[in-house]
Amino acid sequence: MSLLLYFIIVPLGGAFLLPIISRLRESLSDWVGNAITALLLYCSVYGVITASGKTVTYFVGGWRPIADIPVGINLVMDGLSGLMLLIVNIVALLVTLYSVNYMARYTDKGKYYTLFLLMVAGLNGVILSGDLFNLFVFLEITAIASYALVAFGIEDEELEASFKYQVLGGTASALILLGIAVFYQTTGTLNLADASRVIAGIGHTPTVLFAGVLFMAGFCLKAALIPFHAWLPDAHPAAPAPISAMLSGVVIKVLGVYPLCRLFFNVYGITPLIQDIFMVLGVVSIILGVFLALSQWDFKRLLAYHSISQIGYVVLGIGLGTPLGILGGLFHLINHSVFKSLLFLNAGSVVYATDTRELKELGGLQRKMPVTGATSQVASFSIAGLPPFNGFWSKLIIIVACVQAGQMLFAVLAVIGSILTLLSFLKVQRYVFFDALKEKWKNVREVPFLMCVSMIVFALLCIGMGLLLLPQISAVTLKPAADVLYTGLEYATKVLGG
Amino acid sequence: MNPLLYVIAVPFILGVLCFIPGKVRYIREAITFLGTAFGFTLSLLIFLDMPMEWSRFGSVLLKVDHLSGFTLLAAGFFTLFIALYSFRYMKDTLYPARYYGCILWTFAATAGALMANHLLLLLVFWGFLGITLYLLVLTGGDAAAPAARKSLAVIGGTDALMLLGIILIYQLSSTFQIDGISLHFNSLAAYTAFFTLLLGAFAKAGVMPMHTWIPDVSEHAPIPVTAFLPASLDKLLGIYLMIRMCFGMFAMNASVNLVLLIVGSITILASVSMALMQNDFRRLLAYCAISQVGYMVLGIGTGLALGLMAALFHMINHMLYKTCLFFTAGSVKQQTGSNSFADLGGLGRLMPWTFVSFLIAAFAVSGIPPLNGFVSKWMIYQSLLKLKDTGGSLWVIWLFAAMFGSGLTLASFMKLTHAVFLGTSPVKIVKAKIGESGFLIIFPMAFIAVLCVLFGIFAFSGPITLFLQPITAMLKPTISGVLPMPLYWSAGTATLLILAGLIIGFLIYLAGNLKNVREADSFTGGEELPVDTRVSGIGFYDTVRDLPVLGTLFKRAEAKWFDLYELGSNFAYSVGGLLKKAHTGLLNLYLLYILLGLIIFLILLMGR
Amino acid sequence: MIVFILAVLLFLVGLYGILVKRNIIKLAIGLIIMEYAVNLFFVLAGYREGGTAPILDGDLAPGTVFVDPLPQALVLTAIVIGLGTTALLVSFAVKIYEKYDTFDIRKIRKLHG
Repeated sequence: MSLLLYFIIVPLGGAFLLPIISRLRESLSDWVGNAITALLLYCSVYGVITASGKTVTYFVGGWRPIADIPVGINLVMDGLSGLMLLIVNIVALLVTLYSVNYMARYTDKGKYYTLFLLMVAGLNGVILSGDLFNLFVFLEITAIASYALVAFGIEDEELEASFKYQVLGGTASALILLGIAVFYQTTGTLNLADASRVIAGIGHTPTVLFAGVLFMAGFCLKAALIPFHAWLPDAHPAAPAPISAMLSGVVIKVLGVYPLCRLFFNVYGITPLIQDIFMVLGVVSIILGVFLALSQWDFKRLLAYHSISQIGYVVLGIGLGTPLGILGGLFHLINHSVFKSLLFLNAGSVVYATDTRELKELGGLQRKMPVTGATSQVASFSIAGLPPFNGFWSKLIIIVACVQAGQMLFAVLAVIGSILTLLSFLKVQRYVFFDALKEKWKNVREVPFLMCVSMIVFALLCIGMGLLLLPQISAVTLKPAADVLYTGLEYATKVLGG
Repeated sequence: MNPLLYVIAVPFILGVLCFIPGKVRYIREAITFLGTAFGFTLSLLIFLDMPMEWSRFGSVLLKVDHLSGFTLLAAGFFTLFIALYSFRYMKDTLYPARYYGCILWTFAATAGALMANHLLLLLVFWGFLGITLYLLVLTGGDAAAPAARKSLAVIGGTDALMLLGIILIYQLSSTFQIDGISLHFNSLAAYTAFFTLLLGAFAKAGVMPMHTWIPDVSEHAPIPVTAFLPASLDKLLGIYLMIRMCFGMFAMNASVNLVLLIVGSITILASVSMALMQNDFRRLLAYCAISQVGYMVLGIGTGLALGLMAALFHMINHMLYKTCLFFTAGSVKQQTGSNSFADLGGLGRLMPWTFVSFLIAAFAVSGIPPLNGFVSKWMIYQSLLKLKDTGGSLWVIWLFAAMFGSGLTLASFMKLTHAVFLGTSPVKIVKAKIGESGFLIIFPMAFIAVLCVLFGIFAFSGPITLFLQPITAMLKPTISGVLPMPLYWSAGTATLLILAGLIIGFLIYLAGNLKNVREADSFTGGEELPVDTRVSGIGFYDTVRDLPVLGTLFKRAEAKWFDLYELGSNFAYSVGGLLKKAHTGLLNLYLLYILLGLIIFLILLMGR
Repeated sequence: MIVFILAVLLFLVGLYGILVKRNIIKLAIGLIIMEYAVNLFFVLAGYREGGTAPILDGDLAPGTVFVDPLPQALVLTAIVIGLGTTALLVSFAVKIYEKYDTFDIRKIRKLHG
């Protein structure tokens, strides 16, 4: 059996087994959950190394294509999928590690891990799917799991957030499904590689474009680009911290940015108009998102608005369409996964210790919670793009790419966004960790060991990920991923051969 | 491995070691001493062994020439002295790991920034210095949090702008190598690149309008930190970058120089006027430090070899006397627990070493011959006078600003001297039996004060010939580094004359005292003063507040009307507030946004 | 063609529902209508004029036209997914009613700004 199938079967199987296992012993679910995510991480590292940038296709059930026309479902792992798998599973492992202690605050860890693994299965499925409908199904699995996880605390705000998330997410799903229907009616296929060939043949006819509009709106909603963003600042803060980290760290990218890239670079073939739309969406998200974030006083809500702004950088970089721009965009994508997950975990630790997210109520926690404080400083400097942390390098590449592509205005706006990001994270640092310690937090203690470990590993990643730019390392990680997008329509040949 | 790498790597690694948790103070101090002493020794060796370079990836990444060798040496020297001073002053700090670790990191990053020959490498070190500054300021405790936030906001923000400038430079000259860049101001991009980089240098050096973080930082951060970064290393870096830009990467033209001259003059006058009004030892020093950078900018703005030399010399002199002044402030703070004029007075008799060091440094900063500050100011005046030859009559204004600023500096230090060291002591100090500080505080302070004197008396035979003329010769090969004779300030002769004058004055004083002079306690209206009545320095120059135009300006400045950071964040918050109103929490509205987005996509993609 | 337009009309009805209605149950219904309109559209996309059911049963005359089986399979899946989301949505609506004592979306606005 191919390795690719494990990415979906293992977490899915785990999700089915967990409710039974957790009946036997609550603590077993911790072990099983962590073991499964660790296994997935091992698989993805192994997979990325063995594939070493080449495209691996797996035809489910042995239904090989007949005359180059696929008849069954296929799973595809190319450079881009490999990169996404890697980052999803790294974040998933560290988040489950963090959950061991954090989720003890909630009842029923078994259900939590079940939903969590369902979500991971869905994410891996979306990344590996070679056809549009499969992608939709996995997307819905992830979405349903995350709706439930957002409301895991079942308090009023969590329910409200989850309800709004569901209505807006449901709208997105309806748009995407409608897009799939129109797409299928026009091209007669749902396989991405096959469709890519068909579209290359018939061109961008109005119906194909109409499907494109629906996809774009639907996936932008999932990626929370402005003006499709309104669910994110409600849903991400309401979730338990590890889930916020997953949602902001990987879910918006896998459900939103990744399909957008796949569809418009590999299937439709990128056009200057689509690039312009991406870039404008990106810049609008950067600027409006960061202004909104700056004026928040709720720790997690502030972080959530920053997710919108940072996704803007990713989309801006990718939308430039130049090799450097795509590389920068994808690099920022994985960097953002790391530092934003870390920031949400930091926020979670603060909540764990103090039970409040209001910046004005906190203060002076640095001395009480040194690990949380130090890691959050690393993450803050990272997201603000200060050297030598990872965020600096990816922003640098994106801005260089903007200038080289002649988009001076976008470069300037990206820089302004970066300055405002710095400003708002300095605010967080000051109000949470550095002002005078309030009387009521005198007995606050550092969070348990495993949570610290998870945060420290994230922080080390923030410091070290700049190394991904070294030619030898980037040749197996970033470069193949960027090539997949840059070479665009060659995708069909790579997947189906010939 | 190349020695240039050691000077960065060794202090950095030692800095990491400082972060290992542990309670023993001496280990961290020993590591710090080791690191800084190593840094100083190695930078001395590098200075003697120039030029050196280190290449990798097909480009020269690190390069030491006369300019970087000299600045590196200065950085090494000051780091060592700051470390020595800290061992005593910071012995009770709550954050020893962060403090000593960041001191070493700062040196490593400064060395990297000074030696970097690749613009991105420069930016990486430069940006990292912002972080170490932030962490160092935070060792000042809870009250320092807002100041730390402000300093990193200003410095990090301008770093982001520098990034833009660097990329533009790359776009224009297709190289990141500093020694390979030679740009002319013939496009908007060139101007943008120059001014964004200049803003970065301004923020580091504390030139107006990017100066606002310095007074806040120096008020709340521990004194060695203030003496270390805003007063010396950050100035060094800012001026270093400005010189690299103005005498290397860019071919300057008259209008850009004019901008520099204007900014320099305004900086001198505006901040020295602010200094006059301060009632805190450290804040006054901070404003004075800002005003001194104005002189350096003026020197660079002349575009002449003499001006360049003057700016460099003033930079090094300023580092000397300002570090010394901050050290005296630290000494006072250490002994009395306060730096506010209201709590101080009459310390001259109680702390003689501190007083003498302070007096020397204060005379130097006010430009009194034969101290070092006078020589460099004199050279700056001369270079401004030289502008006459290139035409235009604006030089009068610059010269006026420079000289008037110097006078006001003296005035502000008169206030400071009176308020802290002369006059009568407040009751608290009399009761507390204040004494002199310990050796580790006095030694760095006095040593630097002696250097202030030596650099003044032997200016031409010492630092100028040794350090500065090679730099000038290197940067401006066309203009000879040797100065025309009449400009020379014959320091040795003048010193002798001044000494003779002082001795004669003293003799006259003694002669006058031979007759019996009547002494009496002070009194008003025939009444004896109560014991606790004293004239502190607080009221000095307060009449300025009542003047029509100036008074209003002062009030506005104190209300932070001219603070770019405050203006910027107020603007950002108001925009954010407006945008927040669009997120009412009503689900239908959010759906409407989505519908609008969908319609826009439809129109854009299907419109043709 | 007319059936497609009807499906789109149905979609618009659902859209109208979620845009205008204030009751969260009605919002849910609007969403469901949208999903079903899409399902309908998808099935219609696979319809072939005069086609028979796509089942292999041996005695087929040559030239028989099948309706496209793929959309039918997909729509079945989509319906199941729709069932899942609807169940979750409605159960949350009930929970929200317990917490907020109202179905009015205008009053369920603790999260804003």
